[in-house]
Amino acid sequence: MLRFIVRRLLWAIPTLFIVTFVVYCALRLATNPLASYARANPRVAKDPEKMAQYVETNGLWPGFGGYVRGYFVWLKGFVTGNWQVSIKGSRPVWPNLKIALVNTIRLGLLAVMVSIPIGLSLGIFAALKPGRLRDTAVNTGAIIGFSVQPFISAIILQLFFGVQWAKWFGEPLLPTSGLYPPGHQGFDPVLMLKYMILPVIVVSIQSIASYSRYMRASLLDVLNSDYLRTARSKGISERRVLVKHALRNAMIPIVTLAALDIGAIVGGLIISEAVFDYPGMGVFFLNAQSNGDFPELMPWMVIITSSVILFNLLADLAYAWLDPRIRLD
Amino acid sequence: MRTSNSSKFAALAVGLALVVAACGSDSSSSPTTAGATETTGGTETTAGSETTAGGSDTTAAAETPAMTITYNINDKAVWEDGSPITADDFICTFDATMNTVGSLSTSGYDQIISVEQGENDHQVVATFKTVYAPYRGLFGGLIKKAAVADCNDISGDFQTDFPFSNRPYKLESWDANQEILVPNENYWGDDKAVVQKVVMVPKADAETEIASLLSSEVDFIYPQYSPETADAVKGDSNVKVSIQFGGDYEGLYFQQNDGPFADATFRQAFAQSIDVEGLMAQVYEPIVAGAKQLTCGPIVPGRYCDETTFQNTYDPAAAEKLMTDAGWAKDGNGYWAKDGADAPEIRWMINTGNTRRENTQAFLIPLMQAAGFNVVADNCEAECVFQKRLPAMDYDLGMYISTAPPDPAYLTGSFTCDQVPSDANNQAGQNSQGWCNEEASALLEKADATIDLDERAGYIKDAIKMMREDWVMLPTFQFPKSGVYRTDKVGGPVEDELNNYAAFINFNQWTDVDGDGQIVIGAEQWPGCLNPITECANSSWYVWTVSFPLTMGVYDTTNDGEYKLTPLMADEPVVEIL
Repeated sequence: MLRFIVRRLLWAIPTLFIVTFVVYCALRLATNPLASYARANPRVAKDPEKMAQYVETNGLWPGFGGYVRGYFVWLKGFVTGNWQVSIKGSRPVWPNLKIALVNTIRLGLLAVMVSIPIGLSLGIFAALKPGRLRDTAVNTGAIIGFSVQPFISAIILQLFFGVQWAKWFGEPLLPTSGLYPPGHQGFDPVLMLKYMILPVIVVSIQSIASYSRYMRASLLDVLNSDYLRTARSKGISERRVLVKHALRNAMIPIVTLAALDIGAIVGGLIISEAVFDYPGMGVFFLNAQSNGDFPELMPWMVIITSSVILFNLLADLAYAWLDPRIRLD
Repeated sequence: MRTSNSSKFAALAVGLALVVAACGSDSSSSPTTAGATETTGGTETTAGSETTAGGSDTTAAAETPAMTITYNINDKAVWEDGSPITADDFICTFDATMNTVGSLSTSGYDQIISVEQGENDHQVVATFKTVYAPYRGLFGGLIKKAAVADCNDISGDFQTDFPFSNRPYKLESWDANQEILVPNENYWGDDKAVVQKVVMVPKADAETEIASLLSSEVDFIYPQYSPETADAVKGDSNVKVSIQFGGDYEGLYFQQNDGPFADATFRQAFAQSIDVEGLMAQVYEPIVAGAKQLTCGPIVPGRYCDETTFQNTYDPAAAEKLMTDAGWAKDGNGYWAKDGADAPEIRWMINTGNTRRENTQAFLIPLMQAAGFNVVADNCEAECVFQKRLPAMDYDLGMYISTAPPDPAYLTGSFTCDQVPSDANNQAGQNSQGWCNEEASALLEKADATIDLDERAGYIKDAIKMMREDWVMLPTFQFPKSGVYRTDKVGGPVEDELNNYAAFINFNQWTDVDGDGQIVIGAEQWPGCLNPITECANSSWYVWTVSFPLTMGVYDTTNDGEYKLTPLMADEPVVEIL
């Protein structure tokens, strides 16, 4: 196992290297950081010397060779912690990125903690009585959950719990945006949780639908397998068959799905965060993108990429833990 | 809306001279200074003013003085820590504006040879190398010398803090999620802060703002007016919409540097084929009942407006004759063509998603095609329009909102020849119509050097007449500003300053109706940092939420588009022409 982990980690390095280089080139083409800088600093833009200095400092040389050299300038700065400052406002990138990352992880983990237990429970609940009313109900609910996109569910929930409720009773039942009420200062986990209820529900809806469908299909597959039939014929109780044998094997594909989901969460909540004004990675990305802020976008992309690679590794490890037949070495 | 750089600049004028900027983004509401402010949810630019200048150079001292202004500072005027406001703060403001790398605009300041202490530290003398008529826009917001390490470079200051104030409120905290203002106990004026806390929070767009208002999360919003806004809130008896007509105006602009409108005959015929009255009835009447065409030009009614200038522009018969006389003839598709060439295609650019402008295209394009002009919609996102294509003059016909500051100097930044983007100005000029009329440029520049207001107005009106003669643009509508607020949360003179260039600047006099101890204002755009003279300040919402509420200068703007002396000054500045 250790060898496997080391090997995968070593592979992650060239993977990150290649991905970041491709992303670097794509972002430079898409955002044109020199033009963004010139737009943001019109007086500096009139001074060729200062513009040339900006090019040198940030490695923004033209041509493929320039991109390669520029990538290594960026990489060196990134690895040594000497990050380029943002184009808009010339501020350090990490402080705001760190806050956004923590907020998104907080939201993502809460959503996972809600959606996985509920989704798996519903899947098991449906699989135990296939074709019956409960199965139909879960399947129908899952299809609806899949179909309702986050920006739809978010707006519906905001309208109901915020706007409409306030019209009926004078005050909204749940807050509809932000992380704290306006004017609040300091850390207050209880208040924060209240503000996260609607975003967590929105993020969880599709995940619950997804997990319930996968769990149902996987468990049905296992329940109909030969080895479970054999186990039952040996007189093992149905409860033991389910808990000890069926669920463990049915979880294998679910773990892969969950790991990939969690890995993608870091960058995948853009719509939900935007609708709820939630100060996370999604909003950070949207702001950086609208400013064409290359120095802010690159670290964001690196974190997203690293997250996906890391959670893929964790998925493989969990896979091995759940199914000893899989020989990773 | 697009606010052209000049517009922004006007803000600048008002701001640092008001610190503002040259172009920004506004959205719906947000104009900054003069120019085109458009928005949409996105970005705006400004029209106008940025200009030239270069830093306060050492050669300036050798120039011949043409004008001096003597400012007498009120003895009672102090900063938030009780320290007196002195000539040093004026000098620091001037140095920072001129010398800081990344200073957005030096317009006006670049006409100053020196800023020095006068007879005592409460007197300031600014010496100009030219007669500078828009001087009221200078020193619109002071920088406290003691708050910065080096007045010649404040680019590294004010990242997340704005550590001084000479207004009724001072900044307690600011981050990406909110700004909190608390009373400035040392404020010496009569208009002291009423409520113990004012909170400003970012809202992504007008829809989010309205939802926040309806759910009582915020007490006041300032969106660009639309009938949808009124519809969205009309079911709530505690929400009031106030509509007023201020400095925002919309227009059609003809890019004539190259493309089909470089041909003056073609341009005139096209402009005369636009049924503006039909447009008013079809597009603007549903927005505001009784909507009338703006006929001043790129300016709003007032001292500098001649309302006859753009009257009766629609004359299809004259357009037809003009084209025919010039040798144009309609081709097999019914489009005007000449000399065997294909009919020129006219690319009409608006920002995608702006329903009003899309409706305008849907209404006018078939009419213009029927008149023989091959017009096609060529739209893109707001950022693409205002940050990229307008500055690059990559369009033929444009449509956007601009915001006029109280002083018409923004016209010089937006319409003079040297502001046409070119290598000479590193493509940074703000004249994105590409119009160059030397005589009009000279008039606008002369206006900026004329102190007498009536004489100045004459020059401005004459220059605008030349815009009509050259068919630079067609003004369409003076666009309303709107303030929307909860009457169960906030009271007092909420509606009194909505037209003001400084927007809701009088919030220090608003009252807390529900007794929660604070007023919450929703902001459509959020500054990335707080530096008052660098790119941070490049938006209307920056000046509305940060620099206007915290820094007072020599003059404030008024709700009717004039300047008034602030409590900072002991008396009216003395202008002396040398």
